[in-house]
Amino acid sequence: RISSDGKPAKFQPPPKPVIIDKLKQIEERRFLSPEFIPPRGRTDPLKFYIERKDMIQRRKVFNIPEFYVGSVLAVTTADPCADNKASRFVGICIQRGGKGLGATFVLRNVIEDQGVEICYELYNPRIQAIEVLKLEKRLDDNLMYLRDALPEYSTFDVNMKPVTRLDHEEIPVNTLQVRMKPKPWSKRWERPKYNIKGIRFELPEDKMKEAQKWSQPWLEFDMLREYDTSKIEEKIWKEVSEALKK
Amino acid sequence: MMPIWTKSGKKHAVTLLKVQDCHVLRYVSKEESGGKTSKLLVGGKNASPFFKSESAMEIFKEAGVPRKQKVTTFNVTDDAIIKPGTPLYAAHFRPGQFVDVTAKTIGKGFQGVMKRWGFKGQPASHGQTKTHRRPGAISTNKAAKVYRGKKMPGKMGNIYRTSMGLKVWRINTKHNIIYVNGSVPGHTNCLVKVRDSKLPTYKDCNKNPPFPTFFADGDENLPEDLYDEEIFQFTDPSVTY
Repeated sequence: RISSDGKPAKFQPPPKPVIIDKLKQIEERRFLSPEFIPPRGRTDPLKFYIERKDMIQRRKVFNIPEFYVGSVLAVTTADPCADNKASRFVGICIQRGGKGLGATFVLRNVIEDQGVEICYELYNPRIQAIEVLKLEKRLDDNLMYLRDALPEYSTFDVNMKPVTRLDHEEIPVNTLQVRMKPKPWSKRWERPKYNIKGIRFELPEDKMKEAQKWSQPWLEFDMLREYDTSKIEEKIWKEVSEALKK
Repeated sequence: MMPIWTKSGKKHAVTLLKVQDCHVLRYVSKEESGGKTSKLLVGGKNASPFFKSESAMEIFKEAGVPRKQKVTTFNVTDDAIIKPGTPLYAAHFRPGQFVDVTAKTIGKGFQGVMKRWGFKGQPASHGQTKTHRRPGAISTNKAAKVYRGKKMPGKMGNIYRTSMGLKVWRINTKHNIIYVNGSVPGHTNCLVKVRDSKLPTYKDCNKNPPFPTFFADGDENLPEDLYDEEIFQFTDPSVTY
């Protein structure tokens, strides 16, 4: 090209291409299973390290998928008394408890008008497979109130097909507000101690006001109850992801 | 404490015990101690050498070992004597062996008769005046005295107790950890004495133990983890029937 002066123009390098690394974007979402985070106590950290090694070893052989309270799972366990020696149970995860190797999760379903809850251990060697049929979160961490909710909210088809979702999407939060059976309930779910957001309370105003009498507004400012797990989580996340990649 | 699964799918609870800087301190011969067998003094966890009298530190200086927090005696036959100063490791025990564990129980302080001895107390209502957790009668009329050893309120806990016949499931030679079946007396991170079981059922249980002890000189290279035959190791695939 000849510029307007007639002299040859200085070489202009082409603009550098901007590389959008899609893999890196996906990796930004990390999920550390809650049973890896050690509870606050006076136990030696060596014990948690050794327990974590065992947990990682089990995860290398058997895939434990990412799931939250409110997702629908199907679990196949080895059972000496069943035909095919394996039994499959589908249900919604209502609670994830325990730390370390003894971590458990409770699945709930209503089969032939009978509510059934089964508590499975994540690291039990008798579990053959865990499939996530529907991955989603709910408004609460603990869905025990489904026991007092109308049975339609706990029924899930046993032959449900897994719901497809793309890898990089954020996990959907189901803002379903559940309707309850008439009182009495197994626990007084309207009290602020349980802090439930997923129930559509149809109780009269004065009952709701009376429940607020048991509120403890000083609890959120109690410094002795604070347990900041962000740094611990970072370390453990690095350790676990490196070990699982090998 | 941790769960452990066997190959048949059963779950057992297991306590982890760490062998932390154990050294043999002194050999006391049969005649010196006046007992039936000779004794070996063994010291546990390392502690600071200050704030202790010279006479107490003598034992540690002789053996050439830092000051230990706890010193215990083991009754030993003459062929199992070890030279003072040798370190003791978790590999001294093998999986499948049975073990007695002694420790000081958790101290509960001054406790009443219902918690300490399991008395039933009295009813909460129906006319009871100021009597709900009291021991009630302490002796009969004819005895005209209270017998020695009568169960009464007092300091509970903080005494040595032994759990007998605990099975060793697994040994970690790298971190010196023994996995022992069931629970063990004492709080977390307390000092504990582990000994081969004296129960008559387990007299012939130990086949080919490391005798007199496991010496980490480099002759035997043990794998990092020693498992019992029945344990489900996490490298295996899931259990099927």
